[in-house]
This record gives sequence, C-alpha cells and structure tokens, in this order.
Amino acid sequence: MSTTHPQESLLHRSRHGDADAFGALVRQHAGRAIGTASLMLGSYDDGLDASQEAFARAWRRIDSFRGTGSFYAWFAAILRNVCIDRIRRRKRRTHASLDEVHPIADHADGPAALADRSEQAERLWRAICELSPPHRDIIVLSHFQELSYRQIAELLEIPIGTVMSRLHAARKALRDKLAGGQA
Amino acid sequence: MSCETIQPLITGYLDGELSADQQTELDAHLAQCEQCRRDLEELRQLKDNLAGMSFREPGDEELDRYWQGVYNRLERGTGWVLLSIGAICLLSFGAFMLVERVVRDPDVAWIVKIGVTALIIGAVVLFVSLLRERLAVRKTDRYAKEIKR
Repeated sequence: MSTTHPQESLLHRSRHGDADAFGALVRQHAGRAIGTASLMLGSYDDGLDASQEAFARAWRRIDSFRGTGSFYAWFAAILRNVCIDRIRRRKRRTHASLDEVHPIADHADGPAALADRSEQAERLWRAICELSPPHRDIIVLSHFQELSYRQIAELLEIPIGTVMSRLHAARKALRDKLAGGQA
Repeated sequence: MSCETIQPLITGYLDGELSADQQTELDAHLAQCEQCRRDLEELRQLKDNLAGMSFREPGDEELDRYWQGVYNRLERGTGWVLLSIGAICLLSFGAFMLVERVVRDPDVAWIVKIGVTALIIGAVVLFVSLLRERLAVRKTDRYAKEIKR
C-alpha cells in the first residue's frame, strides 16, 4: 500500500496521540511484521496475533522512540521480544524441548505470508522454520527485518564479530538443509 | 589463517560489513583456497534467493481489519487500567472500613481482630511487593530499548 504521508510526519503525529497517524504506520509495516512473526512462531495465525500485540505495545511506548533512527528498526526489537515471550510461554505450558516449541510452519501457513509462492520460496520457508532458534532468529533479523550488524549486535547484546559468525553459521546450516533435501 | 577463522568473513563480505583489514585478509585467503571460494559462491546464491523472498502485502480490507485488531487491543488495555484503578480504590476503602469496624467493636473476639488485621496487612504487603517488582522490570524493560539505524 502506498503512503501519501512522510514517515517523520506520521511519527510526530503519533507521538502526539494521533491514532490515525499511527494506523497509517501500522499499514505501512504490517506485511513485513506479520511475515517475520510468522517465521519466528511457525504459524501465520500466531504471527498475525503477535504482530498486532507488538504494534499495540509500540503505540503505548511511542514516547520512548527518540526518532533518531528508523521506526521499523525500533519496532523490530519490540516484535522480536513479543515473539520470544510467546515461545517461552509455550515452553512453560508444554514443557517441550526448545526445538519442539518451534513447530514447522505447515503449507497453509507459510506460503500464505509470502508474495512469491514458488516452489523455491516454499522450500526456503520450510528450511528456515527447521533451523535452530538462534539461527532462525538471526536470519530473520538480517534478511527479513533488514537490520545491520550493528543493530543486531545492540538488540542481541553481543559483539559485532559474534553477529557475523552466528549469521555465517546460520546461512551454512540453511544451505546444507536445502542441499540435503531436508527442507 | 585457517579456513575456520576466515569463514565468517565471507558472510561479512557478502553483507558489505568488512573493514579494510578484514577485506585484505579475506582476499589473500580466497586467492589460495578453492573450498572457501566455493562457499562464497554458494552463500552468495543463498543470499540472492533470500533477497527474492518477500512477504505478501495485505490488501486494503485486510489492513482495515488488522488495524482494527490493534486498536481493539489498545482500547482493552485502557479498559484494564481503569478497571484496576477502580478495583484498587474500592478494595482499599472496603479494607479500611472493615479493619476500623472490627477493631473498634468490643463484641468482636480478639482472635478475629488479629485475623482480619493480618489478612489486610498481608494483602497490602503482597500488592506492594508485586508493584515494586513490576516497576523494577519496567526499568530494565527491553521493549523500551531503541536501536539506532
């Protein structure tokens, strides 16, 4: 959806309590937010719900956004924490192993969130869902949230060198899954 | 340098995140390591595939419903806050009245007076403890953290 409002103006109005302006921001970023949350949680419905909760939290905390960076980079941190909270709650409720709390997205869930429904996109989606939680997390942050190494380092509270090595390991694991036909 | 040490630099190179020194190290290694050159090409291909994988943008009707869902959560949040404030006020007043009447009433047995007083004090201590915990969590809340672009 195209927007006729510059992002800075929407942010300024949102900080002054303009719900319509915040609604316009939500509309701009909803697709990416739903998609990344679906990848994190392995389900489109969960992703939809979690991303709505994240936007609601962002609105309540809009005053803490200083406006020095991109709104989406700030929001991505909130979205990630909402997803992690939900994964932890699942873990407490089911006492499942860490891998078990990341169910593989089924066919109905995954491609529904993708613009490109090709076979390759489906294989990639399923392979990402099968990655270990730390690997999937960093792939999502880098490729789908489009954060820089510095932003990821700040978010995960790890050195930039660790971001690079973890992302490298994650990409190699993803490549191996695709090459091995496990995806 | 060994392949194991140099390998993460391949990813840094693909993302344009290497310093000049790291780039020099990687170039020198790639010039004499076929395996790492192969990895570089495979990871470049993977990155291109990932870059081509975009999320579907919801239609206008979907976005309307989506925003309504967000707005409903905001409304409910405000409702819960008001409900909580009202409940705290009424419960506090009720507890105060109860303690005052029971303690002043000479017909009430002392054991009942002690029981009611302990119950109220216990409830207050628990409430203050929970409130303090919530405030401490809020101070270190990662949701409030803003990352720079």
